[in-house]
Amino acid sequence: MIRLTENNCELPTTSGAIAMVNLQAQIHGLTAPARPAVAQRALLADLLIQRGHVLGRIADYERAAELAEQTVRDAPDDAGALLAQARTRATLHRFAEALADLDAAGRIGFDRATLDAERASILQAIGCYDQALALTRTAADRQPDFATVGALAALQAERGKVAEAEVLFSQARSRYRGVSPFPLAALDFRRGLMWLNEADVPWHDEGNLTAARTWFDAAVRRVPGYAPALGHLAEVDAALGAHQAAIDRLRPLALSSDDPEYAGNLAGVLACAGQTEEAEHWRITAAARYEQLVQRHPQAFADHGAHFWLTVGGDPQRGRQLADSHLQDRRATRAYALSHDLTRAD
Amino acid sequence: MADHFSGPRALADPASDITDVFTFPSPERAGHLVLVLNVFPIAGPTALFSDALSYRFRLRPVTATTAGGTPVVVAGADEWTFDVGFAPPTPDGAAQTGTCTTPGGAAIPFRVGDEQPTQAAGLRIFAGQRLDPFFLDLAAESANHTLERLTFRTHGVNTGEGANCLSIVIEFDIATVLGPDTGPLLGVVGETLTSGHPVRLERMGRPEIKNFLLQDKKFDPVNRDLEIRDIYNAEDAFNLSPSYVEAYRARLNANLAFFDRLDGTIDWPSDEHGNHPLTELLLADYLVVDTSKPFTDDSFLEIERAVLAGRPHTTCGGRPLNDDIVDILYTLLVGGLDGPPISDGVDQATQPATRSFPYLVAPNPDPPDVMSVLSAASAPPAETPS
Repeated sequence: MIRLTENNCELPTTSGAIAMVNLQAQIHGLTAPARPAVAQRALLADLLIQRGHVLGRIADYERAAELAEQTVRDAPDDAGALLAQARTRATLHRFAEALADLDAAGRIGFDRATLDAERASILQAIGCYDQALALTRTAADRQPDFATVGALAALQAERGKVAEAEVLFSQARSRYRGVSPFPLAALDFRRGLMWLNEADVPWHDEGNLTAARTWFDAAVRRVPGYAPALGHLAEVDAALGAHQAAIDRLRPLALSSDDPEYAGNLAGVLACAGQTEEAEHWRITAAARYEQLVQRHPQAFADHGAHFWLTVGGDPQRGRQLADSHLQDRRATRAYALSHDLTRAD
Repeated sequence: MADHFSGPRALADPASDITDVFTFPSPERAGHLVLVLNVFPIAGPTALFSDALSYRFRLRPVTATTAGGTPVVVAGADEWTFDVGFAPPTPDGAAQTGTCTTPGGAAIPFRVGDEQPTQAAGLRIFAGQRLDPFFLDLAAESANHTLERLTFRTHGVNTGEGANCLSIVIEFDIATVLGPDTGPLLGVVGETLTSGHPVRLERMGRPEIKNFLLQDKKFDPVNRDLEIRDIYNAEDAFNLSPSYVEAYRARLNANLAFFDRLDGTIDWPSDEHGNHPLTELLLADYLVVDTSKPFTDDSFLEIERAVLAGRPHTTCGGRPLNDDIVDILYTLLVGGLDGPPISDGVDQATQPATRSFPYLVAPNPDPPDVMSVLSAASAPPAETPS
């Protein structure tokens, strides 16, 4: 059992080890011994997304997407199936299609608050912050619980509204009523990300990196093996010059995760540390994997791939090509979202 | 499902998701009562109990009455609780351990999955994975709500076929543990609460109150957009909050009337204020068991039915493991006290429960491949009605 104290508020949650075992057991249970109906298949898709996020497993995202699409083919008028498909598509950055799924679920009569929460996260992901803020603030005003206040905190954090976000993160934490460690770990991760991004600005100071480390550490204490938090902890280590600590964190991730980001980052840190032979191994591994994923999921991996090839990947031409592709796609998605927004306003 | 996936919060942590609560006099030992709390719907083989939860049984003396003209069951103020907690697994891979704290304060340690039950202080305890004893045709039941008519088939599909869950089974000597003058009628509730500063996450008395009777919003004239089950789950079953009780009443009144309409006749006319005759009885949401009667199958809701009919009850009531609660509920809600039997076409679990402790059968070690039957499970029924 994990306890973390903030504002004198103890938040006991199930141990991360049990929670991970139980997440696996849930997924196993839904894929093997029972006869899940549409709702259970939608749940399975959500659980696969969750495991994919926690462990950094692209294969889980792909499996969730296949499952959701099959479920929509079997039950095209089921709003829960459409919602699951929207979530899996959003995970793979197929944002325009995801918004269309949400619209379809809305026409069937699915709960508007749920759909608006999904819509807001997509609008946030494509940088339509004003529209996202309108939806998220309305939800938090209407029902100020962990989910809605946490979503608002993450949005304001991404917009750089650090002071407001800090207050909201604390409020969200105080409103948590469950024992699953995953939602709290995800909240702490977003808080850490906010401070890490603050550290990226020109006048950054070590204090921001320390704050980022505090929250990434908290996330990892809740859920040991939480890949994105471990990956960013390595980033903090590297930024503070602790290359060996970063390498020690990234090496197991590069081995266990099929997301090439960890292999790419490991290659970068190894190169900085002068370990060029191993760096080259991981650069080649990451490059091959990025090529596969850019082919399969261009919307999701064009930007990450571009960053890789423009930096440690060492192929600026390929990087610029992917960056252009990503910008075009992002403009198209934003255009879709904005036209959709205007249509809704009419 | 009986209480499986009964609200958004339950979905977030399956170890807190109560799937079923059962209580019945021991078939093996006279004067003993059995309590069963199942959690973790469709559990995979590695599923564990949470170390951040208390799994609790609450028992109170109850009285059945029709005083005031409304059949109700009223709980007394005395209460006995059994609290079960679990430790995280150890790094050496040893089995999870737990502790059961009795109403008298005795703390009894046990090991999860131990087929030899722990015995102490008048109790037997088992905790571990078991075959889920619940059964229903979920696709047909859901279709009833969507199509607003009975869609059960003669031979239904058991949605829970082969599924496992995590079970806690306690059997205790009533006179030794609760006192010699206890009973005979007891109300029983199962709960999951956060440990430390306790927050109730789930509670369950009768099966399907949340999923059959509270989930549907479309008939509710008051709260058409409220997911009411998480609020309901957080309530004290023996002392409902006045802040929300009218919301529960409105939802039950609306959905009970929906069930009554399913056969085209009105067997439960509402009063001039729109109150359904079963609402108050079901709002007292705990299993009612008569500890003075011997074990018998098919006793679920028999005590409540007797109260409604104005006659003495004849069985132990409670909820035995093999009772077909879907058929019993549908028959009562749709057809009234004397209506014809209604069946969902699924009449028993994957394997029926046994008559020896811990009563639930061993988990399914070789579950069937399900992907081939996914479409069948979610497809609309082909023949109607039953």
